[in-house]
Amino acid sequence: MFLRIVTESFARTPRRKLLTGAALAMGMAVATATLTIALNVGDRLSAEFRTLGANLLVTPKADTLPLQVGGVDYRPVNAGAYLPVDELPKLKAEGFFWRNNIKGFAPFLDVPLDVTDLANREGPAGKGLLVTLIGTWVHHRLEIGNGESFETGVAFTNPWWRIKNGGRWFEEDADGCVVGESFALRAHINVGDTIVTRNDGEAPQLRVTGVLSSGGAEDDAILAPLFIAQKLAGEPGKFRRLMVSAVVKPDDALGRRDPATLTPDQYERWYCSAYIGSIATRIEGTLPGVEARPIRQIAEGEGKILGRISALLWVVTLAALIAAGLAVGATAATSVLERQKEVGLMKALGASNVLVGTFFLGEQILLALIGGGLGYSGGVFLARWLSLSVFGVTSPARVVLLPVTLGLAILISVIGSLIPLRRASRFEPAPILRGE
Amino acid sequence: MFWRILGQLLRSSRGRLAVALIALASGAAVTTALINLNLDAESKVSAEFRTLGANVVVLPHANASTSIIEVKQSSAGQVDSKAPDKDQLAAPLMNNSVVNRIQALPSSEGIVSAPILYIVANVPSGEASQQVIVAGTWLDRATQLAPWWKVAGDTITDRSDLSRCLVGRSVAQQLNLAPGSSIELNYGDGAANRNASLTVAGIINSGGQEDSQIITNLPVVQTLAGLEGRIGLVQVSIPGTPTEIESAIARISAALPGLDVRPVPQIAQAEGRLLDRIRGLIFFMVTLILVLTGLCVFASMAALAMERRPDVGLMKAIGGPMSRVVRLFLTEAGTLGLAGGLLGYVAGIFLSRWIGQRAFNVAISVRPEVLPLVVALMVAESLAGALPLRLLSHVRPAEILRGE
Repeated sequence: MFLRIVTESFARTPRRKLLTGAALAMGMAVATATLTIALNVGDRLSAEFRTLGANLLVTPKADTLPLQVGGVDYRPVNAGAYLPVDELPKLKAEGFFWRNNIKGFAPFLDVPLDVTDLANREGPAGKGLLVTLIGTWVHHRLEIGNGESFETGVAFTNPWWRIKNGGRWFEEDADGCVVGESFALRAHINVGDTIVTRNDGEAPQLRVTGVLSSGGAEDDAILAPLFIAQKLAGEPGKFRRLMVSAVVKPDDALGRRDPATLTPDQYERWYCSAYIGSIATRIEGTLPGVEARPIRQIAEGEGKILGRISALLWVVTLAALIAAGLAVGATAATSVLERQKEVGLMKALGASNVLVGTFFLGEQILLALIGGGLGYSGGVFLARWLSLSVFGVTSPARVVLLPVTLGLAILISVIGSLIPLRRASRFEPAPILRGE
Repeated sequence: MFWRILGQLLRSSRGRLAVALIALASGAAVTTALINLNLDAESKVSAEFRTLGANVVVLPHANASTSIIEVKQSSAGQVDSKAPDKDQLAAPLMNNSVVNRIQALPSSEGIVSAPILYIVANVPSGEASQQVIVAGTWLDRATQLAPWWKVAGDTITDRSDLSRCLVGRSVAQQLNLAPGSSIELNYGDGAANRNASLTVAGIINSGGQEDSQIITNLPVVQTLAGLEGRIGLVQVSIPGTPTEIESAIARISAALPGLDVRPVPQIAQAEGRLLDRIRGLIFFMVTLILVLTGLCVFASMAALAMERRPDVGLMKAIGGPMSRVVRLFLTEAGTLGLAGGLLGYVAGIFLSRWIGQRAFNVAISVRPEVLPLVVALMVAESLAGALPLRLLSHVRPAEILRGE
């Protein structure tokens, strides 16, 4: 009986059902899309923040005091400790818990250098030019085992570094270098010049392939492939500090606590969340003899800004949901409103208010399920497209949202129908049937 | 006559119109809130970005060295590093007055700047001595610029405190310092040797370069190095949106000829990118809401058209021209849009307040110029939603009056 009435109703007024269903589907698509984006926005924004560069600094545990200003270490090569490059693939290998969170890293080795001898001209006024040569990776392909490789270097950890027009980065395995813009000005160096490093043994001749603009202390230095710095320092296979750029979860109340004060349960949760502190702890456990510390300028600022922006987006999402709910509820109300005659007829035939309500609500719920289901699948595509056009990457669909969307659709259309139904149930059947 | 019929129409189907009105008003409210938010989010998010510290640095001209530490490698392959002498340093330094000139600029409100002078000093540790970078700055401003410093012990917020210093975490470990211990700084050698004795107020944990530095007030370092009145660079934090920052940079450069005023690209780029993302998201949300609202108006207007067929049949039967009937319905839809837009704007004011409170802890300023925009949008939407009413022009009076 119920089924017959419902199918009749769908068959008789397909266009109206279509409109209500479309409004429901549309509203739920918006709900699914905004919720999908909001659920993923933390990850997305955290990934966006990697344009700020590295948020973790890894140094040897037993080290002398670095003489560091900006990104340049002015220590002489015979002071302080070094770390082996061989260990670095471990950060992306199977055994490292956070390997997918590590977006890039770059090892650095700074060597003080005297570049009096520019190959094709005399040094200015015969006076030695003292400069720091920074050895690092730019686009380095690192073998991480199982035949896989990972591309990393300063292009990933310091994405704001720019090679000025007319130049390019050096090759990873060739005798090339890039000079900072201030140093290039000061020493009158142009692209194509050759810098001869004065050293007793092998003295690599570095061809200048570009001029670097970094906005930091690197502007007054020379950047060269890591192996050249190792050769100059006489420390093959070594580096001094590692900048790591990791996607992290913004610190919340638990993340800010000192791990030493946590109960075993809390510690377990802390250890398995991508807080910057817990990633640092795991790095220290993976690479022998290192100290890994969050760069607080980046980590703190990032946490604060991320918190604010995700709060903002959640509130916006909520507002959008309310608007969608009201609009959809209003449409559901219309579909009941225009059927007051039917209500009158049913009641004239002796149906109780409860029975009438059951029929109508049953129909609405059916419609909500269909519209919600369609809306969910539409919303998944909408979210993908939205995320692609706003963030440039797709958001993974969340299956959790299917029941949420269906429940929301049912709730909204039931609430939307209840108000006109209550009004209709108060009427006497006779005037309605007379058309008054 | 026209208005009487309109009034009658509005009254007779008020249930249905109320439904359309709710849809329109909620759409307008969210649109108002989001547009208000979009205009404000930029400055609010930019303000958050100031927690990342200075976004502009002022340096001596690029032609001069920005590096203040000279490290010499002797020809024998022996490497030694020594602090630069006075003559070498003189060139790349600036005068103290630069900071005052920045702060004295008109509309420099909210701009925070701090001068810095770096030197390499020796700290006796046991038999030997340890080279440490000492940064002289205005600690009241520096702590404002670097809110991420975690200081164990006392922090220094007084520029005139010349007897105490903050030491980095690594320095404290290396030299066994704790808050309250005293530290001896030596600069230069032989006859030119000068020294200063300071008390450690607190230990800085920053994860950055400060961890390996000693930080104290500027005059201490200037006296120690014999560089009275000289500074190496100025860190500046300029509030505002990227465009405002750019114009502030232009003003500062114009006021400081011969100096290099440059934005910190690391922060500027991240900020620009993030703001783009937020703007994109808000734009898409507004579009989605508008489409949704339009659909709901469409749905209720379609229902209305069905219901009104007898009325239209009657109007036509007694000789009403169709153009007039259409005008009637369009006016109705326009009124609906106007009412929805106004209602929604008022609701939107409260919504933006609430959003601002939740997301930024400050109320978002309500902009009156959003009102005409939102009302126009809603009227357009409602007119577009009224398309189904056009079906009524196909109504044949005879059929209707027969009751078909």
